[in-house]
Order: sequence, then C-alpha cells, then structure tokens
Amino acid sequence: MSNAMIEQSAERLFSANVGKPLLEAFEGGAFPDTLWRLATDSGFGMLLATEASGGIGETWSAAYPILRGIGYWQVPLPLAETMIGAQLLSMAGIEVPQGPIAIIEQGLDNSLAASGSGDGLRLAGSAPRVHWARHCRWAVVSLSAGGIALLDLHEAASVSMVQRVNRARIPADSLTLDAAPAVAHAADPLPGLARPVWTLGAVARSAMMVGALEWLLEQSVQYANDRVQFGKPIGKNQALQQQLALMAGDVAASRVAALVAAGDTPSSASLACQATHFSAAVAKIRCGEAATRGAAIAHQVHGAIGFTYEHMLNFGTRRLWAWREEFGTDAWWAERLGRAAIDDRAAGLWPGLTERRFASGLQMG
Amino acid sequence: MQVLNISPGALPPECEALRTEVRAFIAEHLADYPVSKRVRNWSGGDPAFSRKMAEKGWIGMTWPKRFGGHERSPLERYVVLEELLAAGAPVGSHWVADRQSGPLLMRYAPDTLAPRIVPQIARGEAFFCIGMSEPDSGSDLASIRTKATRSDAGWLINGRKVWTSGAHRTHYMIALVRTGERSENRHAGMTQFLIDMKTPGMTIRPIISQLGEHDFNEVTFDDVLVPHENLIGTEGGGWKQVVSELAFERAGPERYLSSTQLLLEMLDVADPADPRHAVAMGRLVAQYGSLRQMSQGVQLMMAKGEDPALAASAVKDQGALVEQSIPDIAHELFGGTTAPDSPLAQAMDYLTLAVPSFSLRGGTREILRGIISKGLGLR
Repeated sequence: MSNAMIEQSAERLFSANVGKPLLEAFEGGAFPDTLWRLATDSGFGMLLATEASGGIGETWSAAYPILRGIGYWQVPLPLAETMIGAQLLSMAGIEVPQGPIAIIEQGLDNSLAASGSGDGLRLAGSAPRVHWARHCRWAVVSLSAGGIALLDLHEAASVSMVQRVNRARIPADSLTLDAAPAVAHAADPLPGLARPVWTLGAVARSAMMVGALEWLLEQSVQYANDRVQFGKPIGKNQALQQQLALMAGDVAASRVAALVAAGDTPSSASLACQATHFSAAVAKIRCGEAATRGAAIAHQVHGAIGFTYEHMLNFGTRRLWAWREEFGTDAWWAERLGRAAIDDRAAGLWPGLTERRFASGLQMG
Repeated sequence: MQVLNISPGALPPECEALRTEVRAFIAEHLADYPVSKRVRNWSGGDPAFSRKMAEKGWIGMTWPKRFGGHERSPLERYVVLEELLAAGAPVGSHWVADRQSGPLLMRYAPDTLAPRIVPQIARGEAFFCIGMSEPDSGSDLASIRTKATRSDAGWLINGRKVWTSGAHRTHYMIALVRTGERSENRHAGMTQFLIDMKTPGMTIRPIISQLGEHDFNEVTFDDVLVPHENLIGTEGGGWKQVVSELAFERAGPERYLSSTQLLLEMLDVADPADPRHAVAMGRLVAQYGSLRQMSQGVQLMMAKGEDPALAASAVKDQGALVEQSIPDIAHELFGGTTAPDSPLAQAMDYLTLAVPSFSLRGGTREILRGIISKGLGLR
C-alpha cells in the first residue's frame, strides 16, 4: 500500500463511519464492533506487523495518517495500541492474536514487578491506567529488564480489573495482577530502543493530537466565520484573529514534529532507532504544549455553545486533555530531553539538533 | 488546513558534506570570538569575515555565475546559514545584500544594475540597507511620503527614512519611495530605487537603541539626484516587488536562532539533576527541534517549486516567540545569581534588551498574524 492509499483509506472509513451518534453510544459504554471490524478488514491493526505474521509490514510514516485520523475524526478504537502490540509481537516472533491488544510499559505509570524467568515468567502489581483493557483479551508488556511478554487478561485467577475512563471517556482500566503468568515471552523486538511501548505510544499519541488539533482549528475558523455578533462575524475581530493565528502556528509546528517522529520510529521495514527517543520527545512535548494552548483557544472562540456536551467541540478537546498525559506528559519528556542536552553541554546542542540525538541519550527511567 | 502543511524531509548528501566544511571554517575563524559579539547574531557584522565567506563562495551561493554567483542549491545555502547562525558568526555586513537585495536586482534589473552591482555583493564588497519605514509609516508601509520626482538628469528624491539598519556602514540602499499619488489602489504609485550611499544630499543620523548601540539610522534625502537607470523594475510597481522581497525572509533559520547564544550559555551552567533546569531546557530543545524541521521543510518545498507562504509566516511567528522566551527563561532559572562579566551574564544582558525587536523587524507580530488569519480563511 502506498502512503497516499492508506491516507485515503483512513479518510474514507473514518469520515463515513464516525459521527456524533456513534460517539455518544460509545461514551454510553457501547464498543463500536462494526467500526472495529471495518478497520480490521482494512488491515489497520496489522499495518505495522511483519508480513510473515500476516501483517502488512509498513513503516510508521505510513501509519501516521491512520493515527492522525483517530484524532481528526475522534475514532473510538484501540487502533494505536493494537498496531503497536502487533508490531512488537510479530517482530519478537510471537504469533499475533486476533482482536484488540492492550499495551503496558513495565515500571512507567504502573508498579508491575516481574518474577521467574523463561516459561515461568509472572507479573504482579497494579497498573492504574491500561487503555482499552476491558475490550482486550491480550496485553503486551514491555519488560524493564528487556524483552516483552504477552498476558491473557481473561486469566481470571490472576487478573482483576476496575473499569475506569480517561477524560475522553475512553477506557483506561485499573488492572491488578497477582502473579499473572506470561503466555509467551521473547527478547527485545527492537534492540537498541529502550522502553519501546512507552516510546511508540508517545509517537502515536503525538500524531493523534495533531489530528485533533487540526480538526479543532478548522472548527474554530468555521465557527468564527459563521457566528455573527454586533452585526459582523466574530472572526472579523483582530483579537480573535490573533489567537487563531497563534494556534495555527502551534498546529503547524506540532504536525512537523509528529511527522518527523513517525519517520524516526523503527518498524520491521526500517529498524534504525538512533533518533527515536529524541524525535519522540520533541513531538510529545510540542504536541502536548499545542494541545494545552489550542484547546483553550478553541473553547474561547466557540463561547458558551462549545461548553455544552451537545456541541462536538468537547469530543476533540477532551481527547487532547487525555492524550497530552498518556505515555509521558510534555514535562516528563522535557525533563529527560533537557537532562541529555545539559549533559552534552553547549558544544553538544547544535550537533544534537542536526543529528536528532544527544550523545548522552535520554535516560528513560 | 492544507495551507499550513509543511512536508519535513532530509537534506541531500552534498548538504551534509558541506556542513562539515562549514563547521571546520567556524572552528578556524571563530574559535576565540567572544560571546559578547556572538550574541549579536545576524545583527553583528564584520566586513573582513564577509570577505572570507565570499572567498569560500558562500555569498551569492545560488546566483548565476554571470553575476558572480556559485550556482549551488538553495538547500546548500540553507546549511551554510544555519551553521553560521547557530555559531553566532558575524554575518550581518552582507546579510541584507545576500538575502534580498541581490535577488531583487537580478530579478527586476537583470540587464542594467545587476551586472554591475551583484558581482560586488558576491565578492563581499557591497553591503546594502533597506529604506522602507518612515516616521509616519511603520506597519502601514503604503503611507510612505518620501518622494521621487523625474527630471532630465534623473530622479530627485526628498524625504526621510527611519530605522534604517546599517545605513552608516553600507554602500547602497534600496529605497521604496512615492512616484505617484495614492489612488483608489492604495498600493499604487510606489517605486524602488538603488541609491549609492555617497550620493550628495543624504544625511545619516544615528538612532541609538535601548542597548546603547548604533545600528539604526534616520536617513534624510534633500534633493538627492539618482540616475534614471537606478529605478528598479517598473515605475509604480514597487509594492508588488517589495512583497516578493519580503517573502525571501520569513522562514529562514534567522527567524528562530537569534537567541541561541544564551541557550548555549545556560546549557553550560545548568544542573542536570535539577528538574526545573532539565524541563526548561528540554522544552527549548523541543521548540528548536520542531522549528528547525519547519524551516528546513519550507526550504525543501521551495526547492521543489512549491510556495508555502503561509507556513513560512507561521515559522516566523513561532520562531520569534521562542527567541523572546529565552531571556525570560534565563531570568527564571538564573536571574540574580550570575557572576558579573560571566558569559551567561553577558548573553543575558544583551538579549534581554534585544529581544523586543525580534517581533518588530520585518513586520510586526500583529501584522504577521493578520496575514496568517486571512490565509486560514477568516474573512
């Protein structure tokens, strides 16, 4: 598939099938099974999985339009998680199971501890925010000691779950594992990239935030042209034009950062990962900052109507307020990127920027 | 918002080879160049440095050989510029001539002025200033009143220009003046002229900036006689020419790198174990990382013949925000604690006072955002 075909395919599927009724039903607790099946039929979940595993073996640049589309059309599906899970499993040589896959980075936003080894590997502890867990039979865990494990979340004896949601009312369930056995495990599928689930998750969330921001900007410009006060469209006011122009710059910067990060993220088609942590950090920071400013501006432009559940605006802004926190806040990534920059001192800044990596590397603890 | 889309991409391999060459040049010529001068960035000039760059073929890099240029790609020029600006090299003497005056003369006076003047620019021997703003014309450039009147001997220019950077150390000015009355079309009746700074009747008076420095000038024209052939392009076509000239200057690396020397000084004293320091530096690195990709992406698109004008304006707006944030971040982290005369203190002193101009020069932030909002479709 060419990247343009993937983009068109995502646009056709999402624009035709995701709308207000589906989103309201989803927030009422109904998983969109038909939409999931359509996305699966389009190959989206297996886009990054190796061809040998039955996937498409595509790059993260090819995945970008789908991820961006999840934000732009507010697609309520665990596609990013499943794409990442399937990529890691297939590259590790583990058979990719059917259905949605949850992803967990051990030790980051959870207190999971591993014990045993080989076929006796078990995980215990709590993970307070596992996205989509209630809809997933399987979870891929990236282990802090290296390697990945596959968990069966339907293993009732050792897995308990409390259902929770994030600000976008997307499932973010609390899991408690009581020596849950790994049904499969393997060495690092992406050697050289520490914390792969967390890092790939940050790149995915960045692209998703860009989509949501682009939608917000379009909605805001449209509303500013349509809404008449004092006998003229409110968009005629310079005060409002200045705000939307600022938002446009933020969106343009975020989009470039997310595209570069996708290009620097490894896949079975392109294993290089020297720039991945740097570019993921730049993207998650830049998109997180743009989300903070952009959501505020979009609400200000829309006035009181944008504060209602009835109006679509909040389906975009609530996603931004959820996603800016997931897989590392902008501050989390900034602290690590900044520490690497300080360790490299003045002489390392410009070479670091041109090569998109600091010699000191990001400490991903 | 397709209009805002920038396609990031990699520079071709010859650019990365050139990058190594520029870094060696900087190491050779600027090793002892002090921070007090590096902070000036492209406002700082040194004619001797300009001539060294000319010897390397790094002025007029993309211009045709018949004009003394070197027919390199715009992407190679981009790499030379970003490397020199990141190092705080004194590129200011030839900056305006290289960026906009040379291209303007080649485009609008290819048979008359360009063959004589442009080779001097490429040799690092002719420096330019720009005569646009006037006492009553800042953002509202169409309200200029300086006037040129045709006579048998040439054009007689009378009036006054202000904020003319470097008028006292440049050889030529390209001035926008009125040759006809304002009409229904408020952009009609303006014309560009090449003016030799030694022409009788010109008086240059310094305007000292809040830094206590002399960069700006007021230039008074009192019956300044300019030859007929110094009219650039078409009589009355000055506005259109100026607009295309300004497009050269929106998305270059100079639009986000102006405060780099202070960021470098902060990195040398910051404590990696202090989360406040780390987070602040990390956010700045992220801004630099995305702006560099935006600026480079615009260059790549222009090299392919695309015209990402609106995206370029966004680069300038975002870039100035970053440049202006840096002294405030230095204040937040290190204010009141710097050793007197330390490199950090020198960089803070200079840039704290300098940054307000970064969202004024080349068009104010508010005018720029007005352009962006129109481009977004706000009516």
